[in-house]
Amino acid sequence: MTTVIDGREMQPPEPMERTLEALDALAEGDDLLLLLYCQPHPLFNILRQNGYAWSDELRADGTREIRIHKL
Amino acid sequence: MHPSLSFDQAPPISVPYRFFLVAPWFGVMAGILLAWSGGDALVSRWTPEALALTHLIAVGFMLQAMCGAVFQFIPVAVGGNVWRPTLVANIVQPLLLLAALLLVAGLLFTRPGLLSAAAPLFLLATGGFVAVVALALWQTPATGMTLWAMRMAIGGLAVTVVLGALLAEALALGLSVPIVELADIHLAWGLAGWALMLLAGVSYYVVPMFQLTRPYPLWFTRWFGPLLLLLLLAWSSRLLLEDPRWSLAIALSLLALLSAYAGMTLWLQYTRRRKVHDATSVGFRIANLSVLAFAISGAGFLLYPELAADPRFAVWLGVLAFAGVFVSAITGMMYKIVPFLNWLHLQRLGAPLSAVPNMNKMIPVEAMTGQLRLHVLAVSLLLAAVWLPGLTRLAGAALAVSFAWMGWNLAGAVRRYQSFKDQIRAAGLHH
Repeated sequence: MTTVIDGREMQPPEPMERTLEALDALAEGDDLLLLLYCQPHPLFNILRQNGYAWSDELRADGTREIRIHKL
Repeated sequence: MHPSLSFDQAPPISVPYRFFLVAPWFGVMAGILLAWSGGDALVSRWTPEALALTHLIAVGFMLQAMCGAVFQFIPVAVGGNVWRPTLVANIVQPLLLLAALLLVAGLLFTRPGLLSAAAPLFLLATGGFVAVVALALWQTPATGMTLWAMRMAIGGLAVTVVLGALLAEALALGLSVPIVELADIHLAWGLAGWALMLLAGVSYYVVPMFQLTRPYPLWFTRWFGPLLLLLLLAWSSRLLLEDPRWSLAIALSLLALLSAYAGMTLWLQYTRRRKVHDATSVGFRIANLSVLAFAISGAGFLLYPELAADPRFAVWLGVLAFAGVFVSAITGMMYKIVPFLNWLHLQRLGAPLSAVPNMNKMIPVEAMTGQLRLHVLAVSLLLAAVWLPGLTRLAGAALAVSFAWMGWNLAGAVRRYQSFKDQIRAAGLHH
């Protein structure tokens, strides 16, 4: 199952808060799709240090699709 | 927040804050100097008072605030690690402070010894800063035009400081160098190569993120920085090429490029889907309208030599650039960075999300917007005082009060950080 958080029209730190909440509820094998207009490096550091993997793709309209799952 | 999550190793909050807390008080000094000197200060860009004022804003307010922001921005926006940020900041920040005071005193009281002492201090402080920042910017695996703009901006800072140190020594020792041409090149690299390049790189990242606009178009971010760099190199060739048509063509192209950045940012703000009218958006709007006013006035200055014959016209441009563009943009940025950093560092204590106060609680909204309104009044009075010297003292007083209010707002945010931190610790919510 994929949970989607569209953070493109949220003011920081709301996307990060929602992502951290969603990660807590993320089941084994599920992933989380975060949509943003920037690369959230503070979040990447948290993910790296806590055993999550992510991919980051740039769409033509400037949206970044960040797909996160538990390692 | 999440007891199971550990947080990143961004620099301690004291690193950016030691720069941010000092910066506004240089602006207060600029206001007091203007109020004290009165009408004659703004008759030309070359009066000792005008040179001192320019540098109080440029290396006092702007450089302190921008260095502090860069320390913080590198890990957050481009995922880079600055080498021993606390140690570097503890050395660079007081050195910059001392160098700025010596330079300003040297310019104001025409003391060659002070200018001579300031130059190596600037080279040492900014040299160290440029070295560690450049290393972080080249080692990060991140990509994107914010990163490239920051790399070019750091190069711009290095050029500005080397030329500035050369000018200071030339004035102190009476070296025979073309002072006016070198000063124009130093100014262009400082304002455009360092300050505007950094502002543009930061804008690509923070304008969509905090002001909820669409992203800057990729073609724009790909071309803006490299073109700006190219035009600055061409502008610097005026030392060798004495062709007025070449200089005119380069200067007009530079103004067109500045207008493109300002126009694009204003367009993104105007067409955003969710309107946010916070202090940062307002600060950026004042800054970009000032860029447009600067470009239009600058074009008039270049195309109508009778305007350029009046030395006050260059002062008008200086007020627009320093107070109108950069003080506004930096103020708007600090009003976003400081609450965000308070929030980020409180999160890192490990308390539950609900225990960390909202970002809006860090600096009262009315205090930020009120201060920005006073800043607009101060800039308007400064612009008027260029032509009506009777207003100079009033403009200086407004500038001093506006910067003092900014300093008070930022210090208040730091006090609130400390008290929220104490509350979280006392409640035993951290881990």
